[in-house]
Amino acid sequence: MNLLIVDSMTWTITVLGWFIVFVALVFLIGVFLTLPKVLNWNLRRILRKKNKDVAVEELADDKLVITGETNAAIAMALHLYFNELHDEESNVITIKQVRKRYSPWSSKVYSFNNVNFPR
Amino acid sequence: MKRFITLFGVMSLLFSLQFVGGGFEAFAAGPGAETFVDHASKGLETFWNFTGFANAHFTNFIMIGVGLFFIFLAIKYDYEPLLLVPIGTGVILGNVPFLDGYKIGLYEEGSVLNYLYFGVQQGVYPPLIFLGIGAMTDFSSLISNPKLMILGAAAQVGIFATFLGASAMGFTPQEAGAIGIIGGADGPTAIFLSSKLAPTLMGAIAIAAYSYMALVPVIQPPIMRLIIPKKERLIKMKPPRAVSKTEKIMFPIIGLLLTTFISPSALPLLGMLFFGNLLKESGVTERLADTARNSMINIVTILLGITVGASTQADYFLTTASMKIFGLGAVSFMVATAGGLIFARLMNVFLKGDNKINPLIGAAGVSAVPDSARVVQHEGLKNDPNNHLLMHAMAPNVSGVIGSAVAAGILLSFLM
Repeated sequence: MNLLIVDSMTWTITVLGWFIVFVALVFLIGVFLTLPKVLNWNLRRILRKKNKDVAVEELADDKLVITGETNAAIAMALHLYFNELHDEESNVITIKQVRKRYSPWSSKVYSFNNVNFPR
Repeated sequence: MKRFITLFGVMSLLFSLQFVGGGFEAFAAGPGAETFVDHASKGLETFWNFTGFANAHFTNFIMIGVGLFFIFLAIKYDYEPLLLVPIGTGVILGNVPFLDGYKIGLYEEGSVLNYLYFGVQQGVYPPLIFLGIGAMTDFSSLISNPKLMILGAAAQVGIFATFLGASAMGFTPQEAGAIGIIGGADGPTAIFLSSKLAPTLMGAIAIAAYSYMALVPVIQPPIMRLIIPKKERLIKMKPPRAVSKTEKIMFPIIGLLLTTFISPSALPLLGMLFFGNLLKESGVTERLADTARNSMINIVTILLGITVGASTQADYFLTTASMKIFGLGAVSFMVATAGGLIFARLMNVFLKGDNKINPLIGAAGVSAVPDSARVVQHEGLKNDPNNHLLMHAMAPNVSGVIGSAVAAGILLSFLM
């Protein structure tokens, strides 16, 4: 390997290429650091309208942001709450009367043969 | 049964009667007999010439051994089995010796393998793989902490350092560019770029890229331990914030516009990546996203693996250039990992309090998704069993995919 045989064009591509990759991703970083602020702007406006007495500092970005952990805790609490719930019950125990419709299918009248017994 | 044996015995007796009294000699002396023997031996000779045994060269056996080794690695050690099993089988397929000129081999025009290879040669498969990757990937860790994206750019030093190294070793600028992309640790990008810049080296480049991707769990940990001191490996990062659906939908659209305007040559790769992600995040095209991330990516992986493997036909593959490519590929992986780690340490100098990052995640800047992130998680747990770094490592990992595609586009626009 001999770096002396590398021409200036190769050096240019190396340095410039890496720089452009950085620039592209730094642009993306810039956009995605700004985007939540823009999206929160509307939310902040609505909150400010509802609670006029809330100070501007209290509506700072980091206060509007909810971490995944908080969401997970809320989801867990809801899950537990709904698991605890039961259907409403009357607490009255009733015994239903069992009624059977007459059917000759299993009627004793037809299944017993009593001819051998003296009357 | 007895009757059958008797009948067969009588018939064979009758047949053998013709050779009694000099029958054999008469048959051998006759004109028909000569042609029969000749035809039989010629037929056998032709058949022998068609067999793999007659056309075999010791290089074929070396490559078949390599193919078997890949399959062994995949099955025994679970190293990227979805890639190494098709590639290993492809290597065996491509190196079974045959007689040229009968439209059998991958490089013979009109053969079935050649038709399947078209997708590799013209760079059709890599964008389709990217579509599937986009439909699989959750970018929320990246959106929640965008500054980690810079690690994906830092790790691309591997690409450009290898480009420089390959040029210094006497490769042409186009070949050097194609070899350099191995440092991106991204198989589809490597195939896409090498198919455009150096089609003759594509087999070696693709095999090197996929082999080193499979060896990420072996290559990266020693470099991590070497560069990051124990104290810094224990840093706990604050949990990522929840990302809204609007942000998730806007990410692929903004990402697509921004990156492709900067590097339009990477349009097929980045376009498909972000399109796949939009299918996933939009929430209204679940069927399409499901096809992209399951059936389609599986079909393309099979075709890509088998044809890339088969492209390693010994007479095209076993050259000194291939050996150099393998050497450069290994170095580029190490440089890329070291680049990400060093940059992560550098970032910590400027970050304060609980904003500090665990520098181990810098290693995930190479775009071997999700292997390098998994390696980071594993290393993090080794140092502190309660420190889970996977979610944080996914951010530089997916930005590495974007970074390497952008780098491929840049190299393409400079060198085409």
